[in-house]
Amino acid sequence: MSRTQRFGLLASAVAIAVAAFLILGTGDDEEEATLTPGPPAAGTARETATAPSALEPPPVVEKVRLQDLAPVGGVKEIEAAKGDTIRFVVVSDGADQIHLHGYDITLDAGPGKPARFRVKADIEGIFEIESHEAEQAGKDPLVAKLRVEP
Amino acid sequence: VLQIAHGLGEVTNLPIPEELFISGAAVVLIVTFLGLAVLWPQPKLEDGPWRPLPLGLGRALTSAPVEILCGAIGLFLLGVVVWSGVSGLQVANANFATVFVYVTFWVGLVPLSVLFGDVFRAFNPWRAAGRAIAWVAQRAAGGSLPAPLQYPDWLGRWPAALGIFLFTTLELVAGNGDLPENVAIAALVYSAFTWIAMALFGVEAWIDRGEAFSVYFNLFSRLSVFERRGGELGLRLPLSGLPSLRPLPGTVPLLAVMIGSVSFDGFSETPPWNDIAPDIARFFEDLNLSPQHALEATFLVGLIGATLVIYCLYRLAMLGVRSVGDGFASGTLAARFIHSLAPIALAYVAAHYLTLLLYDGQRTWSLASNPLGESGTDLFGTAGRPVDYTVIGAKSAWYWQVGFVVLGHIAGLTLAHDRALVMYDKAKLAVRSQYWVLVVMVVFTSLALWLLWKANA
Repeated sequence: MSRTQRFGLLASAVAIAVAAFLILGTGDDEEEATLTPGPPAAGTARETATAPSALEPPPVVEKVRLQDLAPVGGVKEIEAAKGDTIRFVVVSDGADQIHLHGYDITLDAGPGKPARFRVKADIEGIFEIESHEAEQAGKDPLVAKLRVEP
Repeated sequence: VLQIAHGLGEVTNLPIPEELFISGAAVVLIVTFLGLAVLWPQPKLEDGPWRPLPLGLGRALTSAPVEILCGAIGLFLLGVVVWSGVSGLQVANANFATVFVYVTFWVGLVPLSVLFGDVFRAFNPWRAAGRAIAWVAQRAAGGSLPAPLQYPDWLGRWPAALGIFLFTTLELVAGNGDLPENVAIAALVYSAFTWIAMALFGVEAWIDRGEAFSVYFNLFSRLSVFERRGGELGLRLPLSGLPSLRPLPGTVPLLAVMIGSVSFDGFSETPPWNDIAPDIARFFEDLNLSPQHALEATFLVGLIGATLVIYCLYRLAMLGVRSVGDGFASGTLAARFIHSLAPIALAYVAAHYLTLLLYDGQRTWSLASNPLGESGTDLFGTAGRPVDYTVIGAKSAWYWQVGFVVLGHIAGLTLAHDRALVMYDKAKLAVRSQYWVLVVMVVFTSLALWLLWKANA
């Protein structure tokens, strides 16, 4: 290969590196831009931080309703970040056992007796939440998915 | 969401972030151009040096007692798989059969082969039993017993390609492929088939080209620095085991199945698949298939489709290489460059099954204590051990996955470059032929990254 060809290839490599850097650079900017509306909210949070903890916003509790062993409105994805406390409730119209994979927690659910999950999100990944009764009945047991981002 | 029941793998990978996808792809391209600019002008990997292990270790490790012991362990494990599959609890991840076959064996032996060489050859239960029976038969006959049939040249690695295809069909397509009982039945059927084939063509001839798992793991073991020559274990240059892969018929389809099946396993978790799959399933339901069978037919279409896409991309690139000149047919070129896809196949397996092995692989220990999944059994005191899902976090998994893909790309590039130098008399033609090989490698590598980015997104 000639000298000029080698230089050409090296130049291409550099050009790709620069292009990738620029693409990633603008990506970061966008992220910052979407975050800018944040500070005022953060400010109010800091102001109330001195107040008793009872004033903290109530935790968001996701709710999944099971009818005839299937989740109403399809399979939802419950999102959490690592370190959060995950809270969700599964309500079923029949006696059931709800299993959260990975964390390996099984709770009873039934009419008037929702399964209340309260878990510290310390494992990252996507986990299936399944109905034991649906599995026994040979139906798709998937109730919802839990997604824990790092 | 359309889904085939997967009893294994309770945790699904988080998709890699977009930044990592772009930087991974950029690194792949940079490496490609840097490689072209700086790679060596003389072939280095063909007929690389080999040195036996010191202190007589090379002979000790391949001695008859070690072979017999390893073979016996392999046969024992095959027996445990069949026994636990048939009589154990019919729950995929609470039964030794399923976890051992799909995780410990199928995924776990890949890194072992890459690190330590052709480990499976030693532990292969079919080879061990075949050799034992051949030994007894020869004693009884009072002389050597030649195989009744000569292994046909045209058959090449076709049986292995078909075997891997059927195994991945059981794993990814069949709705009840993870039922322990079915795993046991599959193991029995495959054993019977393999022993009949060995009786017809000879044990070593069948192991060499026909037995799917031998061929599969042997391909990965060629990436290792350990190689057996003349009954002795020795060391060779990294990557120098692949150029000696004989270009037998069926090798290109084998690699297409290997890369295609992993691609499809990833692709079946992406939004594009979830969009088209229900339509395909509806088509099969209109043909009066039950919903379950329609779903399986849909996944079969996906698996075959992914394999064909990989095959066609590679053959297209070889048409490009042919246009460079020097009178090579594209079939010849496809056969002579195919070894450079082995590291790409490894990258696919490593990136896709990393967390499955690290998480579900842990079940091997607990199920070794309790192979049937019965409550109360605890042979080695490890039965109750839960899977530790914190052994690798999502972020480190991402970096390892992208790292494997980039490394596989570099290794494939290196092998193809070395081969081109051997094939073409003129260095100029060698370099020009590489442009086409590079394009297909960049496509395969980018596809691997894209799957990591889009799966579960």
